[in-house]
Amino acid sequence: MTRTTTAMRAALALAFALASLGVSVPAAAQPRGGPPPPPQAPRDAAPFDMTGTWVSIVNEDWRWRMVTPPKGDTTSVQPLNAQGRAAADAWDPATDGSCKAYGAPALLRMPTRLRISWEGADVLKIETDAGKQTRLLRFASAAAAPAAPPSLQGDSRAKWQRSLRRVGGLGPPPPGPPPPGGSLEVTTTNLAPGWLRRNGVPYSERTTLTEYFDEFAAPDGAQWLVVTTIVEDPTYLNGHFVTSSHFRREPNASKWSPKPCRSDP
Amino acid sequence: MNGAWLRAALVLLAVLSASSASAQLNLMGYWNPIFHEDVEERIPGPSMGDYLGLPISDAARLRAETWDASLLTVPEHQCKPHPSTYGFRGVGMLRIWEERDETTQQLVAIHTHIAWQAQHRVIWMDGRPHPSEYDRHTWQGFSTGHFEGDVLVVETTHLKAGWMRRNGLPLSDRATMTDRFYRHGDLLTHVSIVQDPVYLTEPLVKSNGFELVPNGTMDPYPCEIVIEVVRPDGVVPSFLPGQNPFLREFAETHHLPYEATRGGAQTALPEYAEKLR
Repeated sequence: MTRTTTAMRAALALAFALASLGVSVPAAAQPRGGPPPPPQAPRDAAPFDMTGTWVSIVNEDWRWRMVTPPKGDTTSVQPLNAQGRAAADAWDPATDGSCKAYGAPALLRMPTRLRISWEGADVLKIETDAGKQTRLLRFASAAAAPAAPPSLQGDSRAKWQRSLRRVGGLGPPPPGPPPPGGSLEVTTTNLAPGWLRRNGVPYSERTTLTEYFDEFAAPDGAQWLVVTTIVEDPTYLNGHFVTSSHFRREPNASKWSPKPCRSDP
Repeated sequence: MNGAWLRAALVLLAVLSASSASAQLNLMGYWNPIFHEDVEERIPGPSMGDYLGLPISDAARLRAETWDASLLTVPEHQCKPHPSTYGFRGVGMLRIWEERDETTQQLVAIHTHIAWQAQHRVIWMDGRPHPSEYDRHTWQGFSTGHFEGDVLVVETTHLKAGWMRRNGLPLSDRATMTDRFYRHGDLLTHVSIVQDPVYLTEPLVKSNGFELVPNGTMDPYPCEIVIEVVRPDGVVPSFLPGQNPFLREFAETHHLPYEATRGGAQTALPEYAEKLR
């Protein structure tokens, strides 16, 4: 038996022994002695910088987003069920422009600019000029939102999703930091009923919204934000409603143009 | 004995280090396209004259206006697949799998296959360069990829002249694409950034979703050419500039301003929506 073969066998034995014991190595190497460093605040731990002004580029679902679709046109919300279609058919065109179309499940599908900033170290604020809405995305370390009735923007909990460390050899992965990059995951509940489209395609107060925010640079240097949106509503949808919207970073806020929506009487 | 265990530890470290350097996020499996966006374009097909929100050049508009849908009945056109710039928005199950070197287990390529017209794409992951600009152009193009964190990023060149949208909007053989694959649980968001110095005035960014299908499978797609329309040899359906009678149909059907339907980068911006009010 060669030295190499012996070493390989020993390595396998070591690996299987570690694996069978469930031994894992912490994601980041711990310093010897002393307590682990305190966790970073979400603002400092952000894998990418979302702050700034972004403009939606509407080249998908244009005729349901850029203009108010005709009454009863629910084509673009494929999972809408019969109850949802009935509600959409009962929409009153005189209510076009209502803030009900600017709730969190539909807000980022609007033609709008976003202004994103940190409010403290653990709350991310997204403002839209279309409808003059504000969303607060609270990380776990933030103080809980005060108890409030359901609202257009609901209660949003945020967390960073880190890139995964790779596992592929024998036994546990080696120590080391995760690779760069990641996403922002946001879950929103406590929503007041609203519209997925400006023509009254409904969502109910039972809706849960999940979003993933990812950022990238295009080959021409432009920065983009893509938001994958998953709307789940057991009242009006059969299954989830999944869309993705993209926004291009603007150099400044000079085109920010707030326009309020119409509050219900 | 101590020497053997030391060597064992070194071998183990080497194996683990290698796997860490070369491993990537798992995109493998069967994925169903989610048609919750642009459903009319992607399933029944886009209307002639619908260029809403697309940053097309005047040349693209002119080409599209001469297009006749009957072109797709010509035998030479019946079995054309989508270019890779469009295939991920089309119909059909998507399968993704890895190709690894049997000995080193290094990732050589990631393959994608879309059921409709059997669109098979090879994304080289082994660091090879793109070929000479004079090399052949294909529907899927030549693709190389790398991972940025968990995101697969693919660069594609050598595309055959095809279409940006299957209502005649063209794409030139000078087009290139960067696409990005984001996996969030059982959802895959595919983002494509297409550049074309001939037919686009700025990069065209699109995004759409797929859903993991644990029991997915792939059927063959044998495309058979038949004579659908009897016509004299050499006739290619088309319209001369200014003579296409169908261009206004889309705008009229949906009560949209005709100018908006003609597209252009400005029609994708919020201020354009304000103009329409």
